[in-house]
Amino acid sequence: MKMQREEKQLETALDAILLRVNDLKNSIGSMIFKLENESENLNWPNLLDNFALLSSQLVSLSKMLGHDKYPLLRTLAIIPLELSPERDEQLLRLTEGRVAIFSHDLAPDYLRTKPVPEVEQKMIQLEHKASNLSFETVQKQMTAYSKVVGHVWEIVSKAREEWETEGSGRSGSAITSSLADTNTLVAAVAMGKGLKVCDGMGQGQLPPNMMGPSGRPVGGGQLPSNQLQQQMGSMGKVPSGIKTNIKSANQMHPYSR
Amino acid sequence: MDSKDWAQMPVCTAMDTLSSALKSNIIPNQEYLLQGSVLDSAVEVLLHRLRGLCDNVDTGPETFHDHEMCFSILNVESGTSPQPLLLRVRRALDYQDMPWQLRYIGQPEGTGDKSRPTIVRSSIDIGTTSAVVDFLTEMGCRMDFEYIVRGYMFRKGRMKITVSKIFKMGQGKPPESVEPISQSYLVELSVLAPSGQDAIAEDMKSFADQLRPLVILDKVDYKRLPMPIG
Amino acid sequence: MGVTILHQFPMLENRTGPQTIEFLTKRIVALGAVQMGQFLVDCDSYISMPSLGPQRTVHVLHNSEQPASVFSILETNTKTIPLVADGLFDLLMLKMTPIYTKKVAKIESKGPRFELADFCIKLGSVTISQNFKGVLVEVEYRPCVVPSNCVGLMREFLQGFLGSCVQSLPACLQNKMDEVYQPMDTIQQYLDHFLNFRKMAGYSG
Repeated sequence: MKMQREEKQLETALDAILLRVNDLKNSIGSMIFKLENESENLNWPNLLDNFALLSSQLVSLSKMLGHDKYPLLRTLAIIPLELSPERDEQLLRLTEGRVAIFSHDLAPDYLRTKPVPEVEQKMIQLEHKASNLSFETVQKQMTAYSKVVGHVWEIVSKAREEWETEGSGRSGSAITSSLADTNTLVAAVAMGKGLKVCDGMGQGQLPPNMMGPSGRPVGGGQLPSNQLQQQMGSMGKVPSGIKTNIKSANQMHPYSR
Repeated sequence: MDSKDWAQMPVCTAMDTLSSALKSNIIPNQEYLLQGSVLDSAVEVLLHRLRGLCDNVDTGPETFHDHEMCFSILNVESGTSPQPLLLRVRRALDYQDMPWQLRYIGQPEGTGDKSRPTIVRSSIDIGTTSAVVDFLTEMGCRMDFEYIVRGYMFRKGRMKITVSKIFKMGQGKPPESVEPISQSYLVELSVLAPSGQDAIAEDMKSFADQLRPLVILDKVDYKRLPMPIG
Repeated sequence: MGVTILHQFPMLENRTGPQTIEFLTKRIVALGAVQMGQFLVDCDSYISMPSLGPQRTVHVLHNSEQPASVFSILETNTKTIPLVADGLFDLLMLKMTPIYTKKVAKIESKGPRFELADFCIKLGSVTISQNFKGVLVEVEYRPCVVPSNCVGLMREFLQGFLGSCVQSLPACLQNKMDEVYQPMDTIQQYLDHFLNFRKMAGYSG
């Protein structure tokens, strides 16, 4: 009776674990797919989201394994009942093309729960050696080790410092933009600062009709002088600056065609 | 559609069409703008970087060579402080047959407002025939200044990036011999959109950040500029 | 786009506007014309403020045949400057309103549009703020863009359904008989007629 209950419990537990593992597998699969096929649209926050999903799935899986209700899986043994050097189509389908043969070569790798015996041997030897060392030797070795680490640290920080000063030195020596120039250019384009016809040359040095850019026909649209008089007369109340402006408005026609 | 149905279809006036377009807010009449400059010596680096960042990778940047004339007309009637209406005419010197561009630009907003990432100003862009300069002059506009602008244009989605050299018109010289007004190129990042699409301003800001520290694109309030003697 | 002649059809005492249009429609349908929609040409005029100096007028016209364009004609004392622009030019004129104001009522010509082989015929009732003023008949001969090559034929066609009232050619065509005909030339003809209608109605400008 008890056996039966335990078996049932084991079965449900395995089912649940299988479900979680499959979820995890699918998440990993979709992430790999994204990396391979949509890498140009994939941004960093997106990738982080994917990682977060994986990690939460891993956490819930390990929580589940540690839960009291679940039987201790490590106490159970798996015995490969049948090994075969032949290609197993069903296995291939079950593992989605990853494992084709369950042979003597591969089975130990898939079912291993402990290191290879030689490795285990070696680890035991090392642990033994460490526990048998005297306190002074340990101290000495630790100091030597910290010395080496400190040295490496020093080299790295020195390299970083050099690199940083070089970087800042480079950007310092090669200024790529100037705020003053930005201001000059923006003021020129927005308000004509430095571009106005009268700027930079003595006002009235040339007769008004010559002030336009020559090399193009000038005067195509000159107002008859009486009309100009009339116009200026009617604008008499406007500040005197207008006067020169009427002159300049007078020469705009060169561009008509 | 049957020709008979079509025959009964009423025609609506251009003004009706325009006001319904205005109402549904589909006219791109807002310009979002960031400005900066790059020294002549670094312009190649900037062009290289823009070539990598922008859409027209395969074709390379589009060049332009334009002549811009800025007009104003004083609105004397409106109250005590007359605000001039500013109009700009731009024509391509390298494509003489292209339509000319007439442009109204409103007062910039958001220059002092830290929460707005770009300057916003109203803008109306109109393609016209070449008679536009004559037309404006006879209307009573006067030309305040003019310049030659030559450079490169890039696109990134709806964003337009221009890197341009500003030249003063040569006095008494043929139009080919013009003098640059600075040792830098003007860099402008702009989007023309219907009003209320402020999200684009954030995109512009983040694009501008990608060009730092090569070029600092920012809101330049030209009214508060410390003025060098021009 | 071909050469276009605009002709004012004289009104008879005992006939209303719609009756006149119906009368002409019957005639051209009898010739084999088929109605293809409606058309509309309208004109708003903006007059400069006195502070700007001598008075100038900007006439802004739209033609349903060129729906993406705005045609403006600036009239000063000495010259007339035509300008073709995008639709947004209307928006700019709204910005100009403190300086250029709309003082006269909108005038428009509106009515059915017919096609007959190579000809396009439009029968327009002219109205100034919904008041009927007269009838303008527009005929376009589409295969040809040089007036001197086709005005003879067009006059004959016009006389064919309008009668002997068709005599002289539009003034603005006469001095550019050998140039390539432009949409603006049609607009200029409309404006000439519109200004006449306005004068008769007692409007200035």
